[in-house]
Amino acid sequence: MSTQSILASIEGSALADWMRYTNGAMPIVESTHVLAAVLLFGTVLIVDLRLLGVLDASRAFTRVSRETLPLTWLAFGVSVITGSLMFATSAQTYFGNTSFQLKALALLGAGLNMALFQLFTARGVATWSRNAGVPRASRVAGLVSILLWAAVLLLGRWIGFTKGHDFGIPPGVELVFPG
Amino acid sequence: VRAFAEWLSGTPPSVAIQSTVWLVRLLQATHLLTAGVVAVSGLMIALRVLGWQRADVPFEAVWTRFAPWLALSLAAMLATGVAQTLGDPVREFTATSYWVKLALVLSCAVGTLLLTRAARRAPPATGFSLAAKLLAAALIFFWVAIVLLGRMIAYDRAIWGGLSLRA
Repeated sequence: MSTQSILASIEGSALADWMRYTNGAMPIVESTHVLAAVLLFGTVLIVDLRLLGVLDASRAFTRVSRETLPLTWLAFGVSVITGSLMFATSAQTYFGNTSFQLKALALLGAGLNMALFQLFTARGVATWSRNAGVPRASRVAGLVSILLWAAVLLLGRWIGFTKGHDFGIPPGVELVFPG
Repeated sequence: VRAFAEWLSGTPPSVAIQSTVWLVRLLQATHLLTAGVVAVSGLMIALRVLGWQRADVPFEAVWTRFAPWLALSLAAMLATGVAQTLGDPVREFTATSYWVKLALVLSCAVGTLLLTRAARRAPPATGFSLAAKLLAAALIFFWVAIVLLGRMIAYDRAIWGGLSLRA
């Protein structure tokens, strides 16, 4: 099965049809996607600024992380669901869009950065969690995380600038042209 | 309002923004990033009053941590918002979402200050009053609505139907 046929079958799915032909679905899903992405960035920033030692220095890193990350994961889950719904409506267009490809790369990078941090850098977290000074590798992970998540947000916006417009008209809606 | 918006869109500053594509995109992107910092800072302050974030530290500590970020990012969000409005006044002024969003931003700014005053007066033994907690809950709803409405400006008729100023 080729990539194109997979993308075409996603576009032809019942979910994609629902998104396309339900009045108000796209605006609500897209706005919710923006909300989730924005909250994800804001909460990630709290954890990463602690990792950089810039803020919350008197608060243990593990504590900041434990109390903030549930919000981050919630926002991430909502953005994945809403993002998938939006993708389904024009899978082939999104797939070929450079901003979308770069956003996917930035997302992958952010995930990889987090995985490497959890697997290696955070191993000795008990020794520095309460310190204002954080090991260099952790600070680098924090900085990379901020840059990548900001890139995800900005590239997401850029998709809107470069994707073009869909002119699908829901069934039952009649266009009336003046004159 | 539409006549004023149309006049505004013909003024030199508006034309300058409209004709600089990269500036429009930069303004929108910066507006989005600052919205993240604004919303989350406002949420953390409100969530502290509800006892759902940093309940182990006094309210003052949470205020000191998040208020400067809230104030600075709100200023940047407002500046980029004003510039975007100037760049496309007809689109913004004829959207119901735009005016509701503005009203909510103002409500959140005033509400957060009122919440802080109430939180500072709360006796440590009894904690925050019901009124303060209700205000915090309303602010959480408003911060979320502000971000949603920002995107909904593009879809005003689909969202508001007959209540849309574009109808």
